Amino acid sequence: MLRPDLIVLLVVIPMAAGILTTLLRGWVAVQRLVGLFSLVSIIFLAVGYLLHIYPGGVETTQAGDWPAPFGISIVLDELSALLIIAANVVGLCCYLHAFTSLEDKIERDWFHPLFHLMMMGVNYCFITGDLFNLFVAFEITLMASYGLICLGATRQQLTQAYKYVMLNLIGSTFFVLGAGLVYGLMGTLNFADLARLTHEAALNGEGMPAGFEAVAIMLFFVFALKAALFPLWFWLPDTYHTCPIAIGALFVGLLTKVGIYAMLRVFPMVFIAPELRETSPILTIIAVGAGLTMILAIIAAVAMQNIRRILALTLVSHIGYLGFGIAMMTPDGLAGAVYYMLQHMVVMAALFLCCGLIERIGGSDDLSRVSGLHRRAPYLSVLFLVAAMSLVGLPPLSGFYGKLLLIREGFALVDKGYWVLSVTSLLTGILTMIAMIKIWALAFWSPPVREAASAVTKDTGSNLAPAYVGVTVLVLGSISMALGAEMVIGMTRSATVYAGDPSVYVNAVMGNNAWESSVIATHEMQAPTLDIDTIAGHVEQPHRHDEEVHP
Amino acid sequence: MTLLIAICVAVLFAVSIYLILGRELKEVAMGVFLLGHGANLGILAMSGQPLARVSDDEVISLSAPVLDIASTPLVDPLPQALILTAIVISFAVMAFLLTLLVVTHRRTGILDIRDLSHEDAPLLSAEL
Repeated sequence: MLRPDLIVLLVVIPMAAGILTTLLRGWVAVQRLVGLFSLVSIIFLAVGYLLHIYPGGVETTQAGDWPAPFGISIVLDELSALLIIAANVVGLCCYLHAFTSLEDKIERDWFHPLFHLMMMGVNYCFITGDLFNLFVAFEITLMASYGLICLGATRQQLTQAYKYVMLNLIGSTFFVLGAGLVYGLMGTLNFADLARLTHEAALNGEGMPAGFEAVAIMLFFVFALKAALFPLWFWLPDTYHTCPIAIGALFVGLLTKVGIYAMLRVFPMVFIAPELRETSPILTIIAVGAGLTMILAIIAAVAMQNIRRILALTLVSHIGYLGFGIAMMTPDGLAGAVYYMLQHMVVMAALFLCCGLIERIGGSDDLSRVSGLHRRAPYLSVLFLVAAMSLVGLPPLSGFYGKLLLIREGFALVDKGYWVLSVTSLLTGILTMIAMIKIWALAFWSPPVREAASAVTKDTGSNLAPAYVGVTVLVLGSISMALGAEMVIGMTRSATVYAGDPSVYVNAVMGNNAWESSVIATHEMQAPTLDIDTIAGHVEQPHRHDEEVHP
Repeated sequence: MTLLIAICVAVLFAVSIYLILGRELKEVAMGVFLLGHGANLGILAMSGQPLARVSDDEVISLSAPVLDIASTPLVDPLPQALILTAIVISFAVMAFLLTLLVVTHRRTGILDIRDLSHEDAPLLSAEL
């Protein structure tokens, strides 16, 4: 049933949904049905694959049946499956929320096609097996997000859109240049092949080629820009607070995490492969960036008066926790980072969608103008409180387990100086608490002001049920991640095994026990100088492979 | 050859950085496009020298990667495939960015990043 080559469906279904909704433009009800079908089927498919491969399996397929380093590998491991599930659950809830929170005109104006094409790009990011296709997937995601961020085209949106588009364009240019340089240095772009070559070089006692670390830092710049790590986070609060809230929540849930995923995938396998970890400067850079992101962004968040800005800055600050986990590069640290990433996607999107409902019911997202929501919307208050406390990391909720793993691991590595980051995390937790309490006290818990109450009535007629369903699903998701923390952390632990030992991943992609028998093709560690023999070898390889597969 | 390409890339990057630092949105857009061209040229340099050493004293130039692959040596086609993809993507992005410029100008009458960020400038039309 779940054949390995069908993992491409994770990309094909959203693509089909994108095309269908383009053709069905104007028939909003049908578009919505197509979209819901696409998102739900992806979730089921990804859960099915996760149960199929867990623990420790990798599903892989080669585009056009060209063997691994030559063709395009598509790889689904546990990390990809977990992230696809979380991303599509978040996508589904934002989609539901958009039914009520988007203006009709905006929803008609290409919202549906852009949404599904963006989901396609995000899913492709998670299952692609080589660096250049990661770039292509980034671009698909970004193109769709450029469109989404400009929907409605208000003046503010246009102004902020330039910041977003220009920065991402510069980032993409450096990404494509970095990918080209990696090919020039290593002669391959496949993650598995790159990991194998790094391993081989370490086994032979050779150093990596000159410029290897420079390329790594170039790619780090790109990923940090997408993930909004210090000092590259300044664009995020400005951009995310101008677009419609359902779209903002989607970006919050997915786009920054794609950058973190790219770091998680590329660095542990290639640039800071287990053999290079002691000497590489990148981990230190990530650690410093993560610490500064955490503390500076949360201080800025506490000072803000506007719910969207507070939430956007809190989001940035908590990206720092993920960087903290990656910087430690230990099994517990990475498992904590992945767990935190999953819960952060869900919780942050829930908070943004709550903010959308606050704006709807309270009339504004300015804390000086919203008040007394606990009377008018008791259910919303409960949802917000659970999500906010989960973000803060109060013990029974999901944020706690992620923080516990990260901070404990930081103190365990006290001799390497990671305790500084642990202390910063604790401090950030307290400041997050203050920021959340600020929203809670001013918007929800304060007595209702009469003036605000009159501004409200305009919207109460419309149906808020889908929006509530969206937020409820996310909050329930967060709670169930807390209740099943043992199981989910077990999965994230198993999902990050590749960072310490890529052999399973490499063998699954390359075949023939490539990791152990380290030479399988005529790869050289310099810019390839080709002659007739190697060309002939390259060309004949797939046919030989065909005969082996179908004798 | 590689040095020549490297100098070209450096010039393209320098020009594009100058343009991106400008305040006129058109200039910034042109700068971003040039940056993409520089990157593509950089990748082209990664395909190595277009020469192959057949024996100790004979060097021949490689041919383009077309169908006649049995008889002549070829340059590495992969960087060219990468560049092709990158060009297509940057083409789409260019179209988007220029559209954005047109829309911005129609709605606000402004193409200067300083004026655009003033909150009080009037909105010309609600139409796109």
